[in-house]
Amino acid sequence: MSSHGRGSIRKLVARWHARRIFHAYLFIAPVVVLFGIFRVAPSIQTLLYSFYKVELLRGRFTFIGLENFQALLTDEIFRRATMNTLTYVVAIVPISAFLGLVLAVLFNAEFRLKEVFKAIYFAPMVTSTVAAAMVWWWMYNPQFGIFNVLLRLVGIPDQPWLMSSRMALPSVIIFSVWKTLGYNMIIYLAGLQAIPPQFYEAATIDGASAFGRFRRITIPLLAPTTTFILIYNSILAFQVFDQVFVLTGGGPANSTNVVVLDLYRQAFERYNFGYAAAEAMVLFLFIMGITVLQYVYSQRYEVSY
Amino acid sequence: MKVRRLLVIALACLLFTPALALAGAKTITLWYPAGDITAGAAHFADKALFAEFEQKTGIKVEAVGMDYDTMQQKIFAAAAGRNIADILFVDDSWMPGFLKEEMLEQVAAPKAKAWLDTVSPEIRTLSDFGQGQMWGYVQYGIDVYGLTWNKDQFKEVGLDPEKPPKTWAEFREYAKKLTKRDAQGNITRVGYAIRHVGQPHGVVHKHFWAIYGAGAALVDNPLALRGGKTMINTPGGKAALQLVVDMLDVDKSTSLNFPDPRAAFLKGIASMQISETVSIHARAPKEAPDLKWGMALPPVPKAGDRPATNLGGWLYVVPKLAKNKVEAWQAIEWINSPAMDYELCKKYDASPRYKVNWDKEPFKSDPYNQALKQLYPYGLKLPINLGFNGVMEATGNAIQKSWHHEASVDAALAEAERLANKAIADAAK
Repeated sequence: MSSHGRGSIRKLVARWHARRIFHAYLFIAPVVVLFGIFRVAPSIQTLLYSFYKVELLRGRFTFIGLENFQALLTDEIFRRATMNTLTYVVAIVPISAFLGLVLAVLFNAEFRLKEVFKAIYFAPMVTSTVAAAMVWWWMYNPQFGIFNVLLRLVGIPDQPWLMSSRMALPSVIIFSVWKTLGYNMIIYLAGLQAIPPQFYEAATIDGASAFGRFRRITIPLLAPTTTFILIYNSILAFQVFDQVFVLTGGGPANSTNVVVLDLYRQAFERYNFGYAAAEAMVLFLFIMGITVLQYVYSQRYEVSY
Repeated sequence: MKVRRLLVIALACLLFTPALALAGAKTITLWYPAGDITAGAAHFADKALFAEFEQKTGIKVEAVGMDYDTMQQKIFAAAAGRNIADILFVDDSWMPGFLKEEMLEQVAAPKAKAWLDTVSPEIRTLSDFGQGQMWGYVQYGIDVYGLTWNKDQFKEVGLDPEKPPKTWAEFREYAKKLTKRDAQGNITRVGYAIRHVGQPHGVVHKHFWAIYGAGAALVDNPLALRGGKTMINTPGGKAALQLVVDMLDVDKSTSLNFPDPRAAFLKGIASMQISETVSIHARAPKEAPDLKWGMALPPVPKAGDRPATNLGGWLYVVPKLAKNKVEAWQAIEWINSPAMDYELCKKYDASPRYKVNWDKEPFKSDPYNQALKQLYPYGLKLPINLGFNGVMEATGNAIQKSWHHEASVDAALAEAERLANKAIADAAK
């Protein structure tokens, strides 16, 4: 390297040192390194694996191009898992966002024991999904579960819940709504409390009804919060696994099989790691697509105040 | 000062002696499923199990319990990470997956021959992976599926408590009589409990008797590792699935609301069930001490047909990547010797494997063991095809779809046939 080159590097280092850029990188280094090792590297490895036939035990990697992806197109079980995942996302995201908003509006007013009720609604969020799902598995039990006991009290016949191919997915969705509701409520509540009260006062003076205020002020000003909730819930919903694994194991007859469960099975039960990696990449594309779409669409409703 | 120094030295000796002793002994690890998944696995929690072996050889056997549901996956992940146990205690239905990955050490041919020549026929069936090849040793107390029935409930509805149903027609008739309902017409006790949820493997296991009894088969050649095709979409397969559809819809003698046949039977809310007899034998004294139950071969489509039932077992295997293979085989051969087979079966009330031990007391005159002997000749081993997992999933899904009325029996089996044959073909690549 020429002396001119060495000199400019030295200058750059001195400038960075003066601006404390090194210090900043040093402070964030642990996070960056760990994120790189445990997130970025496995993701890149998954992307690479998706183009290979991977035989981990033999240490054999055979490049097969897009064959894994082509096989996915004709895989009936994967198709079913994808449809179930989409149904799950389409159901849980709006339902839990809507109910979260309703609860947030209710909790935005003052009433007795408000904090206690808030804690009750938020509790499922901080409960382990596996532990909660085990409890719900019993609640769904056709003979001894609380749901059928309640149905019997009002004269409705027992329902098979998780035991039926038709009812299993809705049953999982009900559980997931219960699990995510509290989080959405808290986020919406924060959004509601950030709306300046003057807007409501002005609207009230102008004669706007309560529903009018909600529609014209609350909903638009909550748009950024709603965007966040929709994107966040969609990402989580696409990755659903724990509750399905515990409640139904993907059954009966694949009626609750979802993409993550299917790729888990391909990888760890059938040892098709390349194929599982291809499934993971398809899921990644779905999540990215939906996130970008929601983000771009939500820009239209972006507000500032 | 001197006393203090002496005390310090003595203490140091006390601390180091066991450490030195341990450092001298070699430790091998054994992974087994924790809990009461299989009666035989519970014995590994007994610290005295390998005590004599440890004393004789200086090799310590450390048994580590694992979660059954994820054990297969953990084994594979451990093998991929080159850090696996020396001995694995595995379900025989996992074997095709392990063989597909060429993960296991093969039992040396002379040792395999010696074993196959001295064990009873059912153990031979389970141990032989074709042409006398063995990949592990089957543990004592093997499983054979059988029909179990509640004798008091038989008496209650006027049936002879010593005569179980022999044919499908009788079976349906008995189940109808045994079913009980409440005032609203809800079933409170099923004549026959079916397994229709959970892992598809479990669903197929519990209906294996009807599928094979009616002449269908999961795979055409059960001892072929590669190739072949499923024989599930046949008149026999259709009849086997239709039997339960009729019991659900026409007879209303079973229900989807009693998903765990063994638990329902032990709770007294199912009068008949067909599953692992060894499990009922192990659980009944604890969970239903007053239960009077009988055990017989599953019913056949019509009088004169040959009954079929599934034989299952757990095996001691050694992974190719084990660090202490020699010591692992030494421990396996010790625990599977004729003398230990006799001792442990007597101690744990299990059925032995060696022909010579069957002729000794208490097995010779024990009614339970003798009843098992009547079932064994009809027991069939699961196929070892490398695409077996896919076949089981496809068949399990077909059973669920038809019983849940999501598809007709014909449509469900046509789909199962397509998926199972694809799994067989894919695995053979």
